[in-house]
Amino acid sequence: MAKKFYLTKKGLEKINKEFQDLKKIILAKTKGESPQILHSEDLNPEYISFREDLSFLETRIAELEYILKNIELIKLPPKKKRGIVYLGATVTLQESEGQINEFTIVGTLEANPSEGKISSDSPIGKMLLEHKVNDEVIITSPIKVVYKIKKIKYGLL
Amino acid sequence: MKNTLNFLIKVNKLKEVPKTGWVLMKVKNPETIADHVFRVAIASWLLGEKKKLNIEKAIKIALSHDLCEVYAGDSTPFFYWEGLDRDKKKDEEILLKGTRLSKEEKEKRGKTKLTKEKKALSKLIKSLKPELKREILSAWFHYEKRMSKEGRFVKQIDRIETLLQSIEYFGTQKNRGGTSWWEGTEEIVEDPLLLDFLKVIQKKFYGKVPGGYKKQKELENILDFLSEIGKLKRTSRLYWTIRGVKSPETVAGHIFTLSLMAWIFGRDKKLKLNMEKLLKMALCHELTAVHTGDTTPYDEILPRSSKKREEILKRWPRLLKAKKTRIFLKNYKEEKKALQKLTLKLKPSLKKEIIQLWEEYRTRSSPESHFLSQLNTFAVLFQALLYREKDKRFSTVPLWEWVFEISDNLTSFELIEAMKKRFG
Repeated sequence: MAKKFYLTKKGLEKINKEFQDLKKIILAKTKGESPQILHSEDLNPEYISFREDLSFLETRIAELEYILKNIELIKLPPKKKRGIVYLGATVTLQESEGQINEFTIVGTLEANPSEGKISSDSPIGKMLLEHKVNDEVIITSPIKVVYKIKKIKYGLL
Repeated sequence: MKNTLNFLIKVNKLKEVPKTGWVLMKVKNPETIADHVFRVAIASWLLGEKKKLNIEKAIKIALSHDLCEVYAGDSTPFFYWEGLDRDKKKDEEILLKGTRLSKEEKEKRGKTKLTKEKKALSKLIKSLKPELKREILSAWFHYEKRMSKEGRFVKQIDRIETLLQSIEYFGTQKNRGGTSWWEGTEEIVEDPLLLDFLKVIQKKFYGKVPGGYKKQKELENILDFLSEIGKLKRTSRLYWTIRGVKSPETVAGHIFTLSLMAWIFGRDKKLKLNMEKLLKMALCHELTAVHTGDTTPYDEILPRSSKKREEILKRWPRLLKAKKTRIFLKNYKEEKKALQKLTLKLKPSLKKEIIQLWEEYRTRSSPESHFLSQLNTFAVLFQALLYREKDKRFSTVPLWEWVFEISDNLTSFELIEAMKKRFG
């Protein structure tokens, strides 16, 4: 079975936009035109490698196509289940000494731990899933870290 | 060429800048950023092959991922040292624990870091040729923005390499630094292969794995290999130590420079080189030093008397052809044996590839190895010229002699001219 890519609505919009932009570029390239988007000042700097590298452009388009075919939109859980950690939840954790730590659980494509967004496939993401407020969770790396779930919110969705 | 050389001079700082995390943890003579990049690049190759990734791309991403630190400095996650209050006990507590921040604060710090690093990288590559500039920027974006399978993979490897280094420095005791790196790693790593690799690390260093452990022979052998080559981060280059250079570059640092030079100069389409092979060869070319230690062409001829030594070190070794051949064969045999020992447990295809790349390099039997061995002389001369800028008594004469002996292609001649102009 193909791997599912879980995305928030915002994440899906971003992927869609990149896909549409890259399709425009490849269409213009195959017609032998110099795509305006590539020379525009507004060029998304992330597309910079596509200027010369057609093979990379094709690989990325194929990757995006595959992703778009296998997308599962992260939905807001029903009201009575919003006290449980599912994808899209921002979880506030507290240690016994009172220190607070926060993570938002997202799919692999949107994960960016430097901005507090962790993948549901990461050990910490997996550990938090399906827990509810006041649950104690133990991060079982060699050093055990015990957190209590203080708050769960679904602001991203 | 002038701008490329200036770029390399700036990047060379990464061989001097220690990783911030280790400085904060008061590690003596900690690894540099370049040392770290070296093992990230090799791990990306070895583990990336198991994922069937584009290895050329993965190595380039690894080589470029910390270039921004020339200007931006090495940031630990979320700049958490900003929270340090110079109270030794409290600071240690913060450092051992890792980061505890709200989502909002993480997002703010993450964005600040990204903006700062993007600006730093743009400044660093500003004067490079447009295509090269775009290639470096693109590789960095792939890493930072996780834009491709390779970018996402190297990002996770970066964290695992740091974890491994932390265990090598601090061991596995709870009240020391080693284990605090686990939390950050477990936030980032999500690839199934790399999750298994984390279990292998736990098994090797801690003995137990929560939730059980299924033997992963191939990954265990890759981990042993990576631990072994970690020695190269601590192995000073002998050419500099016999000349009394203080805190000289390490073998790992040199491999970083040569790999980056291979990428930059080897991309010239006229050379028709296989870039993936060239990069892998650069990464392998001195792995033998894990068991042989670093060697120099002077090893067989340096006398004990210090006066005579000084005389000999002033020039590139003068030897009869027969003696050169004898030394070459002796070193070749020892190094090959060392490499066979180092790669012994790797899977046969990988072992064969590494040994073959090294053999080609040593015997200059392919266009890539011919090019790389010349580039290697420039990497050494380049470092010598930079040492000379700091200490005018340092002689670069022997290395100029070596370069003149070995150079025979256009890129080399252009480099000679550019170096002459830049360093006088």
